[in-house]
Amino acid sequence: MKTPMKTNDLIASLTHRAEAAPAPEAAPILLRSLAAGLPALVLLLLALGLRADLAAAITAPQLWHKFLLPPAIAATAALAALRLMRPEARLGALAPLLLALLAAGTLPGLWRLAHLPSEAMAPAVMGKTAPQCLVFLVGLAAIPIVTALSGLRAGASTRPGLSGGLAGLACAATAASGYALHCPEDDPVFFAIWYMGALVLCTLAGLMLGRRRLAW
Amino acid sequence: MSVTEQTLAELLRAANAGDGQAYARFLLAVTPVLRTVVQGRGRVLDRAAQEDVVQDVLLAIHMKRHTWRADAPLKPWLYAVARYKVADAFRRLGVGRLHLPLEDFADALESAPAPEPLAARDADRLLGQLDPRSASIVRAAHLEGEETAAIGARLSMSEGAVRVALHRAMKRLAVLAGGKVS
Repeated sequence: MKTPMKTNDLIASLTHRAEAAPAPEAAPILLRSLAAGLPALVLLLLALGLRADLAAAITAPQLWHKFLLPPAIAATAALAALRLMRPEARLGALAPLLLALLAAGTLPGLWRLAHLPSEAMAPAVMGKTAPQCLVFLVGLAAIPIVTALSGLRAGASTRPGLSGGLAGLACAATAASGYALHCPEDDPVFFAIWYMGALVLCTLAGLMLGRRRLAW
Repeated sequence: MSVTEQTLAELLRAANAGDGQAYARFLLAVTPVLRTVVQGRGRVLDRAAQEDVVQDVLLAIHMKRHTWRADAPLKPWLYAVARYKVADAFRRLGVGRLHLPLEDFADALESAPAPEPLAARDADRLLGQLDPRSASIVRAAHLEGEETAAIGARLSMSEGAVRVALHRAMKRLAVLAGGKVS
């Protein structure tokens, strides 16, 4: 029985200087990721200014998608990514909830777009500021994604790609929550294309990074 | 007698609080379970390759032991870690896509021997031929991974005296084992 002895040697070496192994905490990961993105967001809002009618817009029921969906998506995705740090974790109700939120951000806009007269489609999609929104959102989310992934490495996700994707989504949705305070575009078509597009891009980036960085 | 989940959970709880001896007992108890699963699913691998996979899983348990929440059930955590690493290793070794049902682990855990592996029993037989004080020093230092300083404190000996006693005991054991124990 040679091999078991070798394994016992391994165990002896692992346990010889074993130190306490405290559980990873969620709060520092969240705070560090937020801190990584906040300076850029504040600078951007200072440079571009808040939207003039912010107080009225934020309470307008027809703009719920713009002010409520991004924080809701961010919170759900962050919760899911943190939960998956435990290897045995299941997403449970978070998965359908997240899908419902993503659908709520996409489907009304696409539905409206499909029913617009063809000459009104391009203006609805492009708005007045179209590509800048996507660029800003991805740019704001980039550093927080890297920070969040390095925090999640303390966990043991058995689905590294999914964990990374959720982290990317959470960071992009957080950026969108802040950027919405400036953004003057109120059309759900615009939101479905550019906001949700940025969320998808960041999710994919997180997924690809996570596959490598979160594997163990 | 089989390893109960409760015993394992208590051991890992103590281990994660910094108890090296409990940690050693935990890993020694888990190893035969892992071995059963790996041997059952990786029949195309030779024994050495199977043992490498077992060691991969032990290392992963070591690196990720803090992700078990002390108030959570242990089995699902252990299965998830083992399954992830076994699947990973089998993919790397070209065993192919793996169907690794949780029942494998449950069955292995039910039928696992008590935490008293063969190696430890051999050692016990040898240690029985030493005087009790030397035997307890060897057991603490080499089987349970206790620091010599801690052993000294426990037996009210200086650390140097423990080292000397340990050295003498190991030489004596080498003679008893016919020169095979280094």
